[in-house]
Amino acid sequence: MRSTHLLILIWILIAPHVVFGGAGAAQAESISFVESLIERATDGQEVRVPAGVYEGNLVIRKPIVLDGSDGAVFDALGKGIVIEVLAAGVTIRGCVIRGSGSDVTGEPAGIRVVAPNTIIESNTIQDALFGIDLRESPDSIIRGNTISGKDLDPGRRGDGIRLWWSHYCVIENNTVRGSRDMVFWYSEGLIIRRNTVIDSRYGLHFMYSHDTVLEENDLLSNSVGVYLMYSNSITLRGNRMRNNRGASGYGIGLKDCDDITITGNALLANRVGVYLDNSPSSIDSTGIFESNMIAFNEIGLLATPNTHDNVFTRNAFVENEEPAATHGRGRLVSNSFALDGVGNYWSDYAGFDLDGDGIGDVVYEPQSLFGAMLAREPNLRLFVHSPAQQAIEFTARALPELRPQSTLIDPSPLVSAPKIELAIADAKLGGARMGIFGAILLSIAAACIAAMGIERGLPQTRTGTRS
Amino acid sequence: MIRAESITKRFGRVRAVSDVSFDLDRGGAIALWGSNGAGKTTLIRCLLGVIRCRGTVRIGGVNVRRRGRHARALIGYVPQELAFHDDARLGSAMMFFARLRRVSRARASESLAAVGLTGHERKRVRDLSGGMKQRFALAIALLNDPPLIILDEPTSNLDAEGRGEVVETLQRLRRDGKTLLFASHRPDEVISLADRVIVMERGQVIRDTSPIELWPTEKPIQVVRLFLTMANEADAADALREAGHTVHLNGNGLCVAVPRDNKADPIVALARRQIEVRNIEILDDVQISEAKR
Amino acid sequence: MSAITSSPTRPIRTASAAPSFLGGIARFARREFRDAIASKWFLLYTLAFTTLAVGVSFLSLSGVGSHGFAGFGRTAAGLLNLIMLVVPLMALTAGAGSIAGERERGTLLYLLAQPVSRMQVLLGKYFGLAAALLCSLCVGFGISGGVLAWRAGGVGIGSYAMLIGFTALLAIAMLSVGVLISVCSRRSSVATGIALFAWLTLVFVSDLGLMASSLLFKLRVQEIFGLAAVNPLQSFKMAVIVNLNASLDVLGPVGSYASQTLGDGLPWVLGASLAAWTAVPLALAVVIFVRRSSV
Repeated sequence: MRSTHLLILIWILIAPHVVFGGAGAAQAESISFVESLIERATDGQEVRVPAGVYEGNLVIRKPIVLDGSDGAVFDALGKGIVIEVLAAGVTIRGCVIRGSGSDVTGEPAGIRVVAPNTIIESNTIQDALFGIDLRESPDSIIRGNTISGKDLDPGRRGDGIRLWWSHYCVIENNTVRGSRDMVFWYSEGLIIRRNTVIDSRYGLHFMYSHDTVLEENDLLSNSVGVYLMYSNSITLRGNRMRNNRGASGYGIGLKDCDDITITGNALLANRVGVYLDNSPSSIDSTGIFESNMIAFNEIGLLATPNTHDNVFTRNAFVENEEPAATHGRGRLVSNSFALDGVGNYWSDYAGFDLDGDGIGDVVYEPQSLFGAMLAREPNLRLFVHSPAQQAIEFTARALPELRPQSTLIDPSPLVSAPKIELAIADAKLGGARMGIFGAILLSIAAACIAAMGIERGLPQTRTGTRS
Repeated sequence: MIRAESITKRFGRVRAVSDVSFDLDRGGAIALWGSNGAGKTTLIRCLLGVIRCRGTVRIGGVNVRRRGRHARALIGYVPQELAFHDDARLGSAMMFFARLRRVSRARASESLAAVGLTGHERKRVRDLSGGMKQRFALAIALLNDPPLIILDEPTSNLDAEGRGEVVETLQRLRRDGKTLLFASHRPDEVISLADRVIVMERGQVIRDTSPIELWPTEKPIQVVRLFLTMANEADAADALREAGHTVHLNGNGLCVAVPRDNKADPIVALARRQIEVRNIEILDDVQISEAKR
Repeated sequence: MSAITSSPTRPIRTASAAPSFLGGIARFARREFRDAIASKWFLLYTLAFTTLAVGVSFLSLSGVGSHGFAGFGRTAAGLLNLIMLVVPLMALTAGAGSIAGERERGTLLYLLAQPVSRMQVLLGKYFGLAAALLCSLCVGFGISGGVLAWRAGGVGIGSYAMLIGFTALLAIAMLSVGVLISVCSRRSSVATGIALFAWLTLVFVSDLGLMASSLLFKLRVQEIFGLAAVNPLQSFKMAVIVNLNASLDVLGPVGSYASQTLGDGLPWVLGASLAAWTAVPLALAVVIFVRRSSV
């Protein structure tokens, strides 16, 4: 018995190379071949799928390791789910998975899992309506996958990664591009780190999912970076939300979330850095924002007027068009902008620090007349970035009676920006190119001046006047 | 060389030049004579095509209105006082005009040399003396060796020495066959340079004559310029004409031709009419015989 | 005293010594360029523009450590403000001085007495000044590009190049307006005064007026956009922002309206507004100058 087992194992491991080695990646194979390989495998056994394109829908019903790293491509030809996992303890690794159905009914996915303890790693999922869809699959790991959605209108796309009632999962080092959300429903105790979401709707989207840590994720050019809704006790640490400028365009959006801790994140060049909608919603809950870099956004902090009990300390608000604004009328004074006498850095702070303790001696209270006008007449936003806007602000500065109420008060603003660096590697490329570009501009000017500007008059002659 | 047909120029309701026509043949020289405001400068500007006027001007057969820049290529123009960027250096200014008139660098040097400005190339226009400026303007005018030279009171801002230089150069140009048209306030210049004088008053040509007829020359005469205390020059001129003098109102005082031995006659004539003479300037001897040729 | 040496007699040429049309323009353009870059205003403006551009690039990126490279958009917005303030002033006053200054000094008459046409003189001056302005901008953008490279890396070279392109267009448009003012003015001081007034109007008054009217009369978005796009400065701003963000949503409801209705045509519409501000005043200036009956 044991020897037959061993023989089968050897056959499984070696046979593909021997028998089907010449199949080639371009040649289409039937999915039934893979099914037969799985059929022959025992529980927990590794199934190495040889290179080739396997057309059809695969269903895995026993706990095996499906390894496609030799070049296996699974293509459902635009119908249904590409790989569906029904058994607990399955691992899918190194496969290229593509061509799910595109009709949103039935929610076709690249990989759908409906069993716990699944590991999905290092796969490439392309042209799938949903990328990886975990339903009631706790204790799973999704790691190092690259997912790109179907080329559809943003409104018709599916989610890159979706978890539904799947607690205690680890989602790390995945890259999602051009999909809807990486979304988590009713899933608790997750670890979500070092994922990259680009050109999607919501980079990370939480619905009723509590007790989770989000670390060092990179959310770039989505409509919204991280959107937490009705989710409590979530920590965001060292994430970067950059250039999220869609219709809502929040770096981080919080809706009715309690006990949120947001530290050491960089929120850069979003339409709105942080958006607070009734968060925290409970009376005894506090939101903590500490040591975040909130820079280059249209609005640094935007909050609904009922927002209260958030604490902002040691954050750097740098060069935001508006540092802070209220969504509608009202002020942000129910939140505190200092903790233990340490406030935040505001790049438009005009105060001074005579005693040299790093804390400004006058409070920071931004009073933007133009901002107040915008709140009244949104159409006036057309005139931002114009000298006329500056003129209005200047007038307000000169005439105190025109000054609107300040949106917030930071009693102890920092006079220099705290240093906030991320673990995410910066792709600081092209500095040399820009330098060269600058040099080219200068040489154009120099060449122009040399070609046209140098006086080529008559030379001084020796003969002089004769008299 | 010049054919002007009924040139009329109005400034508002004032007719600065009114129906002026004349022909000037190649090699000829016309002086425009008249008081300030008689329309000499305006006429010159019309001839240059710098301002628009009614009537037709042809320079060497080229219509100034239609083909202005080709017509102006035939003209060397010397203004009353050269107005060019004060900061410009003489050499580079010269090259600018040389390129504009499409002549070579060597020719530009030559032209400067011809007016004795060699060696001043690094000087700025602002630092030139009045005489140098006019010589410089002349050098520019002569760059492309144009057949016609038009000058607008070229010597009025110069001292006697500078005047002499300019007149000498113009005489030489005449000998070389250039056609000359110039406005002047000085009978001596007119007599020595022009063979025709067009006398203008209030924009109209009142006489088209020769210098000899304008200043009868049986006796050796001199021209004196009288400056009056009270500026009723027209009355004074009438008084002098009654006394038998040849008088020209010339903006800058009264020019009276007098016999060499009776220079004070006009002053006496004016004193009889209670007109006071403030100053008297005796202009250079006029060499009628030479100018006549 | 024989300062005047005899010149060799040359045969009188009958061939025209007038320069070709383009050649004459080039002569005047060169001279104008040379005069411009040697002048105080050029140095002053270049220095001011460069200092301010570098300052904006530097300040808007300071205190953000390695995050600076995300800040190009914000830096560009800061530059935008600066450009809208300085560049029109520069171009308008330069243009205003061009003809009126020569007229006042009496040099214009002398130039026109040369074998050139009025159109050549005007266009030559225009192109010379345009070249000088663009040189000045190149210096400013070149140095602040260096600052961006140092502080922010090379992200957004394309956007930066487009910013420069639109700035150049704005500069020559404002130069056209300045030259038109100059052609109509007898004195240089009057021309400069009118140019300053035009600057004030374009930069502040028209925007503030439009803001006030949209508050008072509750203008509809399409009306506000239409009126704003007529202003070359707003057109310039919107064109740069479209280029940076691929849409005008940043500019609120009016911007969204423009992005939605005009779509990909939006940059072209805005560019056309700027082009019209270049071509129409220049053409007008040429017509007025050529038809002018006095100097």
